[in-house]
Amino acid sequence: MLKVQEVTKNYGPIRALNNISLEVREGEALGLVGPNGSGKTTMLKIILGILRPTSGTVVFRDRKLSERDWKEFKRSVGYMPERVSFYDNLTGKETLKLFAGIKGADKNRSHEFTSRILPEDLLRRKVGTYSKGMRQRLNLAQALVSDPGILVLDEPTSGLDPVAIREFYDILEEVRSAKKLTVILSSHILAEIEDKIDRVAIMKNGSLKAIGRLEELCIGLNIPLGITLRTDGQDDVLEGVLKEAGATELIYQNGYLLANAPGDKKLGIISALMEEKDRFTDISIREPSLEEVFFGVH
Amino acid sequence: MSTSAVWAIAHKELTDKLKSRWVLVIGAGFALFTVVISYFGGAPAGAAGFRELDATVASLTSLVTYFIPILALTLGGGMVADEKERGTLDIFLASPISVAEFMAGKFAGLVLALVISTAAGLGLAGVIHVARGGTGALVGYSLFIVNSIVLGIVFLSISFLISVLLYDRARVIAVTIFVWLFFTILYDLGLVGLLISTKGDVGTGLFSGLLMLNPVDIFRIMNFLSIGEFRVFIGLSFVEFPAFMNGTVLWSVSLMWVALPMIASYFFFKRKYLI
Repeated sequence: MLKVQEVTKNYGPIRALNNISLEVREGEALGLVGPNGSGKTTMLKIILGILRPTSGTVVFRDRKLSERDWKEFKRSVGYMPERVSFYDNLTGKETLKLFAGIKGADKNRSHEFTSRILPEDLLRRKVGTYSKGMRQRLNLAQALVSDPGILVLDEPTSGLDPVAIREFYDILEEVRSAKKLTVILSSHILAEIEDKIDRVAIMKNGSLKAIGRLEELCIGLNIPLGITLRTDGQDDVLEGVLKEAGATELIYQNGYLLANAPGDKKLGIISALMEEKDRFTDISIREPSLEEVFFGVH
Repeated sequence: MSTSAVWAIAHKELTDKLKSRWVLVIGAGFALFTVVISYFGGAPAGAAGFRELDATVASLTSLVTYFIPILALTLGGGMVADEKERGTLDIFLASPISVAEFMAGKFAGLVLALVISTAAGLGLAGVIHVARGGTGALVGYSLFIVNSIVLGIVFLSISFLISVLLYDRARVIAVTIFVWLFFTILYDLGLVGLLISTKGDVGTGLFSGLLMLNPVDIFRIMNFLSIGEFRVFIGLSFVEFPAFMNGTVLWSVSLMWVALPMIASYFFFKRKYLI
């Protein structure tokens, strides 16, 4: 749907992005992660048409975006930047009217989505009276006001408390379940976005280090699954079964047998363990987290 | 150009200035000053009371000369810096609007705020004069208000250029104060210095041309041409202007003072923010 092809961005002598290529598929949620200064925001701004790449192209629906195409492309995109305070003297409704006006939004369609995000009583209040969480809701509402097909979120929960973070992602989930929306989500809070994205792109020093589904990256990076079995003391048979199926680093700890296993051996190990299910009383298999993948790449 | 996008931005600017009471405070301030100056303008000569319209315009010209430029400069100085600070600039840049639409909307909204506050504030003294002297005073005083608004629009345009070039708020404020000082005081001091150093041997054409490089002087001259014997109040009583300095030329130069900074702002904005 949206492709970034061999994009490089220089700011004078500084190279902010180095020959990056990636594809955003229709309807997916792509996470863009990386430490501060890794080039995430520059990447997003190039996708949004705010910055022009030094070299390389952005392709939308098989069409290279030239200067003349950007305006039309921007109609398809909603952008929620990090930390926006908006205008204290305007009400939520007036703020949304402004952004609906500049995006040429259909009033009925925009009301459908914004009313899910901001209730009427909040819309009537001045933005100056909003909490941080409410401002982020308004930020999301303005991004969706023109009913875009692509939603770009840059650190959307930065500075929010845990309750507001949960509320924010609940609303996003609700919107995504109501309409087909492609989401590009940039964040450095890895645990928070892990279950909100379909694929992840990991950036470092302006380069794309890895891109794919979390499970694929775990296998590619040899990041093991964690297997925990509750046993009655040492069990040589169980150990043998696990080793045979590909598990490694077996140790006993507080009545549990712990082991690691490559991601691609998961089904084989489960299958082998089911043959010996009388030898343990409990089992858990822990998938590698996004954080482990992130540090695996770095 | 999408008029709905321009109007959306202009409407927001005007609503913001109305709700923040900027328009009300400036309008009330102007009204107070104009009425006080209209009434007490002749106090140094030992007389108080509403005077002739020309005398009032002469007195108010001095007020407007200092007040309107700083007002307009501060009004437009936040065009980029405020949006950047709020985080909304990137939303505008990521929206399907052109730089020209963004700037036109901002400019139109701020011009409207300036027009409402200036016309309402200065208009009060006009209403009093019309009530006392009949509608004969209306045309002359209306022209003075229009001249004042044009002066404001010129400095609004200059403030856009400052804002685009120096999007950091602190630097915008510093340069705004310098620009204001330059056009209201330093430039004329320079001209006086030129006259002294050349012992007055500066051609009328050259001197008039130099005056037209300063929009504040253009405003003074526009009022000067309409107030006859009261020109002494604005310090131009002994100056003779060449025939080419007429209303049409002065208006044209004023429009250039609006257009050139706006055109420069447009190109610098594109170069600075869409890189």
